[in-house]
Amino acid sequence: MKTFKIGGIHPPERKLTESSAIEVMPVPAELVISMNQHLGKPAKPLVKMGEQVKKGQLIGEADGFISANVHASTSGKVKGVKPHPHPGGQYAMAVFITPDGKDEWAEGLDTEPADWRSFSQEEIIAKVKDAGIVGMGGAGFPTNVKLSPPPDKSIDTIILNGAECEPFLTADHRLMVESPAKVVAGLEIISSLFKGEAKAWIGIESNKQDAIDALKKHASPKGIEVVSLKTKYPQGAEKQLINAITGRTIGQGELPFDKGCLVQNIGTAVAVYEAVCLNRPLIERVVTVSGMEISSRKNVLARIGTSFKDIAGFCGDISEKTNQVICGGPMMGKALFTLDAPVVKTTSGLLFINNSAVEKSRERTCIRCGKCVDVCPQSLEPWLLANTAQLRKFDEILDLGLMNCTECGSCTFVCPSKRELVHWIKYAKVLVNNRQKRKSA
Amino acid sequence: MIISEAFIPAVTSLGAVALALGVIIHYVSKKFHVEEDPTVMLVNEILPGVNCGACGYPSCGQFAEVLVETRDSSMSCPVGGSDLAAKLGKTLGITMAEPKPQIAVVLCQGNNDNARQTAEYLGIQDCWAATQAFAGPKHCRYSCLGLGSCIAFCDFDAMRLENGLIVIDKDLCTGCEACISACPTGVLVMQEKKAERYVIACNSHDKGGPTKKACDAGCIACQKCVKVCEDDAIVIDNFLAQIIQEKCTSCGKCIEVCPAKVNCIRLEHDLEEVKQKNAS
Repeated sequence: MKTFKIGGIHPPERKLTESSAIEVMPVPAELVISMNQHLGKPAKPLVKMGEQVKKGQLIGEADGFISANVHASTSGKVKGVKPHPHPGGQYAMAVFITPDGKDEWAEGLDTEPADWRSFSQEEIIAKVKDAGIVGMGGAGFPTNVKLSPPPDKSIDTIILNGAECEPFLTADHRLMVESPAKVVAGLEIISSLFKGEAKAWIGIESNKQDAIDALKKHASPKGIEVVSLKTKYPQGAEKQLINAITGRTIGQGELPFDKGCLVQNIGTAVAVYEAVCLNRPLIERVVTVSGMEISSRKNVLARIGTSFKDIAGFCGDISEKTNQVICGGPMMGKALFTLDAPVVKTTSGLLFINNSAVEKSRERTCIRCGKCVDVCPQSLEPWLLANTAQLRKFDEILDLGLMNCTECGSCTFVCPSKRELVHWIKYAKVLVNNRQKRKSA
Repeated sequence: MIISEAFIPAVTSLGAVALALGVIIHYVSKKFHVEEDPTVMLVNEILPGVNCGACGYPSCGQFAEVLVETRDSSMSCPVGGSDLAAKLGKTLGITMAEPKPQIAVVLCQGNNDNARQTAEYLGIQDCWAATQAFAGPKHCRYSCLGLGSCIAFCDFDAMRLENGLIVIDKDLCTGCEACISACPTGVLVMQEKKAERYVIACNSHDKGGPTKKACDAGCIACQKCVKVCEDDAIVIDNFLAQIIQEKCTSCGKCIEVCPAKVNCIRLEHDLEEVKQKNAS
């Protein structure tokens, strides 16, 4: 079985919701649609307080090349436009919508299924851009930008990322099992944008056998190869997935298209299909609600802008022992400071956990065991990066490959001294950026 | 004797090497002698020698060189204050401009009693690391985060953490500005030292409602102080009152009308307190 060559760990899988079907969550009493749901500049709000909006109406316009459109997730009245907590931890401009209960689509949206073959390449990319589709795996890179690489780069490999290597998360898994036809159609649309002999792959970890079977049935007749990958974290990271499937290595400072590859998430493929064939903008996504401290664990199809409080209410009781709520997976997700934050396009999971067994201020000194070096998939020395960051030696740290770290968290997971290695690396990245900004200013 | 036999060649050989090196060193020091201005040395001795960078030069030595070369009376060392300026003037034979001593001010009173907390933060105890994880342990995102990143930047031990808030020792703060860039929320600013300095100790640009919800000592931009001020020294900028120090006559009327639970206008006695401390 294929897998990536360097590093990696195998955390407990805890896929508690892998066999629970996706449940559609009703529209809550209030939606908070963040203008910052993607990488790059936040969208510019187009609506004002008191305005009536329809489902799928454009309410935030992409501001710049790397930015994405934002749409209303239901019909209703705009209650306000103001900063609101964002699941990323900061505050971001958000449009508050009070739904009117009609859930009416705006004109020209949600049309009868059309054949994507009838559209030109430019039309497809324009539709993806208008629909505000971003990478739904977590980074939120605008998909239309990713689908139009520089003309001098030729893409020969298109990979659909069904690895879902984070523990607990099963959103992509359920999507693959329940709507394999949409996934394959989305991948076909993406491959059609690249002329020539672009080979399409779907990489799925071997712990999702039902998804592999379901996709094989739909994909094999179309010449798409479904690859079963040995379960290992972080297989779902772009660079690691490319290495696992093609054997190519993306070096420091290189992007996948430098090696002729393009990777898309399962959720993104479905969104591309819906945008191109059904004229539906990205207004809902599957979120895994899991963790040991919530009574009913589910995969829910929630509207973008549903607050985490409403999601928790939909999924039953939260136990009193909950002391941390994580947005995303346990390895790369972020602990929330408020449940008022809403679902955004990149929210893949919501985990209610009790980690009181973990000591407070638990960092101890490095004992030079080298475990972090063994597991680092990017061949870095996390202990050295953390030490250098701690000493604030920001000139040296760049030479140690700071910017090559993908923040997968494998090093922190294995560290016997419980050092916050990834947090130190993130800290260094922020301060290095600040210094560079100050220098150029 | 065996000992003296071993002793003689060692002493003579080392002595010869030392003599040869001495001659070379003497020759080099004569040949490559650098003429040094004795006044630079004198000035350098007067300066505090902490190389804090507050004057705009990377080190005290460079400040001394430039000062001696240009004899610019407007140059000043903020750390030394007026005493040092007088000494410098005496050495150089010019009248140095009276320096305006500055002090770092924390525009926040959101300690653990006044400010509401969001979530318990367990990560790296550093303000920048915390801002990486979330908006901060306090509800107010403009507040002093209370993790003390600035403390390490202070060369003069003038900062300490008290009940989740940075406190500045007026006696020790020299106004070198090193802490300003160390703060991610921009809650530290420099102000000129004054006998009676009124300051609005709040940094929140939120509207009244959210500010009040987040903190007992927050400025809610109620305009009361603006209306009562006879010198037009208070302005509201983006939901936050600010006192223009040049216009303020220290009448103290504003402090009486502030409706916040914990008065967000504070009266500071920069000069008296230091004097009292020195006297005792």
